[in-house]
Order: sequence, then C-alpha cells, then structure tokens
Amino acid sequence: MTAKKKFSRRSVMAGGAALTAGAVTSWVRPASAQGRQAPITIVINQSPWFNGFSGAVDAYEKATGNKVTLDVNPFAGSLEKQRNSVRANQGQYDLLTMNGLFFVEFYQGGFITPVHDIDPGFKLDPQVATFDDTPFWDAQNKTVTSKTGKLMGVPINPNIPLLYYRTDLYQQKGLKVPTTWDELLANAKALHNPPTSYGMVQRGARETTGVTYDWFPYLWSHGGNLFRNEKEGDYSVVINSPAARNALDYYLRLAKEAGHPNTGGQTQGQVIQNLVTGKSAHAIMVIAAWAQMDDPTKSAVAGKIGFAVPPAAPGHMPAPPLGHFIGGIPRNVPKERQVAALAFLRWFQTYEAQVKLVEAGAPPVRYDVLASAMNQKPEYRWMKALGEGLKHSRQMWTVQEGAQLTAVFDVRLNQAVTGELTSTRALNMIAAEIHDIMQKGGYRTGRLPDLT
Amino acid sequence: MAAEFTRGDPWRVATVAPTVALLAVLTVLPVFNLLALSFNSVAWSDGVARWSWNGLGHYAALPADTLFTSGLSNTLIFAVAAVSGQMILGFFLALLVSRTWRGRVLYRAIFLLPILVPGIVIGAIWKLMYNFDFGVINQMSGLLGFAPLDWLGQRSTALLAVIVVDIWHWTPFCFLLLLAGLESLPRDVYEAAHVDGAKWWQELRYVTLPLMLPTILVTLVFRLIVAFKVFDEVYLLTGGGPGMATEVLSFTIYRRFFTEDRMGYGSAISVLALFVIALLIVVALAAARRRREDA
Repeated sequence: MTAKKKFSRRSVMAGGAALTAGAVTSWVRPASAQGRQAPITIVINQSPWFNGFSGAVDAYEKATGNKVTLDVNPFAGSLEKQRNSVRANQGQYDLLTMNGLFFVEFYQGGFITPVHDIDPGFKLDPQVATFDDTPFWDAQNKTVTSKTGKLMGVPINPNIPLLYYRTDLYQQKGLKVPTTWDELLANAKALHNPPTSYGMVQRGARETTGVTYDWFPYLWSHGGNLFRNEKEGDYSVVINSPAARNALDYYLRLAKEAGHPNTGGQTQGQVIQNLVTGKSAHAIMVIAAWAQMDDPTKSAVAGKIGFAVPPAAPGHMPAPPLGHFIGGIPRNVPKERQVAALAFLRWFQTYEAQVKLVEAGAPPVRYDVLASAMNQKPEYRWMKALGEGLKHSRQMWTVQEGAQLTAVFDVRLNQAVTGELTSTRALNMIAAEIHDIMQKGGYRTGRLPDLT
Repeated sequence: MAAEFTRGDPWRVATVAPTVALLAVLTVLPVFNLLALSFNSVAWSDGVARWSWNGLGHYAALPADTLFTSGLSNTLIFAVAAVSGQMILGFFLALLVSRTWRGRVLYRAIFLLPILVPGIVIGAIWKLMYNFDFGVINQMSGLLGFAPLDWLGQRSTALLAVIVVDIWHWTPFCFLLLLAGLESLPRDVYEAAHVDGAKWWQELRYVTLPLMLPTILVTLVFRLIVAFKVFDEVYLLTGGGPGMATEVLSFTIYRRFFTEDRMGYGSAISVLALFVIALLIVVALAAARRRREDA
C-alpha cells in the first residue's frame, strides 16, 4: 500500500517534471530573433518615461510573441517591492529597473546575477551609454568600474536633467539660451510675472530624491562635491565647502527672485504641471518628461519648449547628475526566466528597439539613436541636448547607503528652501549626518570644518 | 484567576489552548521578533541577511535623531489636537441628530460620508483643495480679498492643514459611536430633570455628560490610538515636510525602516511607538476603572 502510494506520488511528480521540461524547452525554442521565452515580470516605477517603456514592451511582445508583465509602482514603492522580491527564496520579478541612486545596494547585497553568468556570449552594444561605468561591479573592491567589474545589467533609461525653456517667450524677449547660472537668473527674471507666470520653477519639496537630485547640477557646476574622491576610495565629506554654499545660495536666490512662491512644496509632478500649463518659463528637469511637453491633450505649450544642457558657473563645466535606470536580473529567479529577461534586454538594446522606445515617448540609451536623423525632427529636438548632456553627466554616489544619504539631503535641503535653515547650517548638518553614516559604514572618511 | 479557571478541568484548558497559541503566534511572536531586531543591525551580502548585535545602540541614538524627536512631538500634538476636535464636533453633531426627528436618516448619512471615502481619495481631494495655484480654498479666500496661502508648504500652516483633514475624516467615527451612546441613554432620567425644571445646559452638564462618560472614554481611546498611528494623510499630503513640520512617528518609521532599509533602527522606533500606544491604553483603562469605582 505504502509502496503503491509512493510509486503513485513519484509518477505524478515525474509526469509534472516532464511537462515542465517540455514547457521550458518550448519557451526557449527559437521562434524569432530572441527565441520563444518564458513569460517575465518587470517591476518598474511610474516615472515620466514609463509610457515610452511600456510602448517598447508592447513592441517586444508583438515582435517575439513573448509575454512581459509590468508591475508599475510609485518611485519609492518600486524600490521596496524590488527589495522584497530579491530577498525572498524565489523572486517575483525577473527584471529589476534599478535607479542610479540605489543600484549599489542590489549589487553589493549579492542580489543580481552577473549577465555573463546567464549568457557568457552576451555583449553590451558599444553604442549603449555606460553611464559612468555603473552597469559594471567589482565585488572585490566594492566599486563600479568596467576595468575589473562584471557586467551586472543593461541601461534602460538615460535620465539626466536638462534645461527646459520657453522658446516662444525667448523669441519675444530676444533672449539667448543661457550657459551660465547668472544668464539663467537674468532670463528667468525677465520672464517672471507672478502670479500669472514664474521665471523658473524648481523642485523643493521633501520627497525621495526630489530636491536632492535637482540641486546636484548646481552643486557640481559650482565646483562643489559630496565626497573628496569617491573613485579613489576617499569618502571624506566635503559638502560643507564654500563652493557648495555658493551653489545652494544660488538655488535659493533663483527661487526667491524668479521662482515659484511655493518652491518648498514643489514636487516633480507640480514642476511638470507648471511647465505644461504655461505658468513657468524655465525648469531644470529630467529629460524623461519631454513627451508630456508636446502632448496637446496635456500641454498648453506644445512645440514651445526648448531643451539645453544645464548652465554652469564661470570656469566650471555643466554637470547633470545621472538618474538613469539599469535593468538587472535577480539571482533568485529560475534560470529559464533569467534567460528570458536577458533576451528582452538583448532586444531592448538594439537600434530598432530604441527607436520604438523614442517613438513611444521615452529617451533612448543609444548614442547612435541620439545622433541619428531623428534629432532633426521637431518632436525630437531634445536629442542633441541629451547627447551633449550625457558627456558631462556624473554619478551622484556609488555606496550602498544611497537611501540614507538621500534621506539626509531631502530633509535638510527642503529646510533650506523653506527658510527653516540657512544654507550654512543646512550644509553643516548634511556634512555631519553623512559623515556619521559613512563612519558607521566603515568607509575611509572625514569632514571639513564647519562653515561659518 | 487563571489557576482557578483551569483547576480540575482539562477540557477548559484544551478548548482555550488553541486560541492562546494562535494569539501567541499572531501577536506575541511578531512583537518579540521586532524587539529582537531592535537590538541588532541587519546587512545583506551574497543575498543573505546577516544580523550583528548592537545592544542598546539604536535606543541610545534615538534622542539625537531629529527626525525621530520631531516625529514624536508632532504625533503628540497631532493626536491631541485632532482627537479633541473630532470628539467635540462629533459629540455636538450626535447631540443635534439625537434631538432631531425630521430628516434624521439623511443627516446621519451625510455626516457619515467622509469615513466611507478611502484614504487615498481623501489625500487627492484635499491636496487639490489646498493647492497653492488652483486650490478651491485659495480661490475662495481670494474672493474675500485674502492673499493665497501655501497651506501644505509652509511651516506655520502645514500641520494644522493635516489636522483639519484628519478631523474631517474621522469626526464621523466619533459621531457614530457617541450617537449610539446618546440613543441608549434612559429617557426617565431626562424626564425627571425636565420635571425638576433643568435648563438644556444643566441637562447636558448633570445628566448627559455623566451618563455618556464611558462611551466618550471608549471613543477617545479608540481615536487616540488610531491618531497616534497616523500615516496615510501625512504621506499623501506633505511627505513629512516642509522640513520636519509634519513629520510623525509612523512616517519616521517608514523612512528609517523601509526607505533607508535600517531594519534594526526602525524596529527600535517601532518598539517605542508600541510602548507609547500601550501606555495610552493602560492610562485610559485605569481612568475608566477609577471612574467606575467613583460612581
């Protein structure tokens, strides 16, 4: 009886395994360029570039017959879901869309499978931007580098901030596209007509990496920095430097003299809203929002927005921070789903896929698409600025404590914008709190004496 | 008492044991787990969580954490102000409805409406109403000649604005419980007061309030506990800002535990929040017992 029962159970299991194997082999059997693959689930955030990505996924499904499910979440919610999935015995998501500020915790935590462990023959297309080497991770030295690091994923979004400006108003007033911060302030003041319209709208609200991300182009292009030399392992905190104070003072001055009266409450959604309703003449914002500017159903200024690389202080280069996303494949999903996720990434990095991505409303990660004839079309007029901006773009930090760092910045910068703290006090507090985080993390660190 | 209960009756033990076990698994175990986590730090490597003993380190760090101290003080202000408003409004609305016969069902339905609206919708409604540029509140105040206010974006008004939303949202809860209490009061006491020539306020002071005290106390405790755990309104309306003006304890826990992924430290704050809520319950129950004994 027992033996019979055992035999019966075994036979059922064997039958199940055979069926599964059959199903798997049928998934991986080539049906198109990428082959027939297992269905995959991608976790993604509801960012301004989401519609474009979604359009590209539709194109992939149509071209290959493979099934992709998108799990769409708010920015912070997406991070939490990704963490939960990679920490489970078996992950729910087959492809993570890791933001440029948080990917290190996934690399360092050992949650991501190096791409060549799935397919040793995979090649990252040389036309795909590598964003300060961030797709490569050297686990030994805990650093991002293409020299000694392993390829951990494929970039899927090139988010950097660009200057959005009203071309019609510029023509009316005879203004020139600014290349320095002083020029931007002068232009913004010339177009400042509150409460009907504002010269500039900046993010200042306390939201995850809101004001923090938007302030970094000001910081770097004034000669400031967060760490002394992160690439060399020197994590001494230098955020409370005179250059950083100049950058923050300028940010506050721009808000006060030509900005929205409620800069401290402006979120990304509100900045976009101010632009598309014609209430703002300028904004420095991620390129991912471009599609909304020209959508006549959403925008009162369709065709009237120009794009440029953010300005810099005299003697410094523009420095848009990377807010890009990398597609990474978790360790804790079955092999056939890893293979399927990589097949999607392989397709996604092709020229054709990137063109579809652009047509659906998201910016591409390929240089040749940015430099193609597409950039001559009025609707893709932002491409040149993006290509130029990417040359100057930098990674904000590459430590796994990224979420803690941004929490410090988010609060203190918001307090500075709302006038609760002076720029000096805000920067001194940021320096002290980040120094504490880095000390606890065991980094080689230190800090400048307090600004007075 | 437990010994008295179980003495000589194994059947009683057998029937109660599953409930006790279930309670232990669902309630006590998670709390102990939280407590254990609060003495440790968690780091991830090779896909595995590694705990390291931190003793009382997380608790010692709490007083210097400005986010935590602001969260605690704002939570107390929020809970006291919001619940006071809800209790007073809820009581007077209940009093009005209990003395109204015509349209009573309609009033009751209207007053209960806000509690039926999902939190996320409430966030959307009030965020639009408070909007600086096109919010209805600024538009209406503009018609009266007032300059627009940045209700959620400036320190002086942000917490107050969130408290107003909470009062709007939860007054119906107080209204409902207090109305049920009022409708169950014995009529003969009122008739006696009427015969004695009591004025309406004397009736309120010497009859209604003393008789309603147990209901008021229960409603108050329920509301204080829920108000102390406020999260959704803050998350949706202000994100804890501007600065730390609307930082509340639940939001601090969310930031520290989830966003920053500091599980040990976040657990320490959670344990403290649990302690404060437990203290509230104990104080309220003690007050109720004392009142009963006095009566």
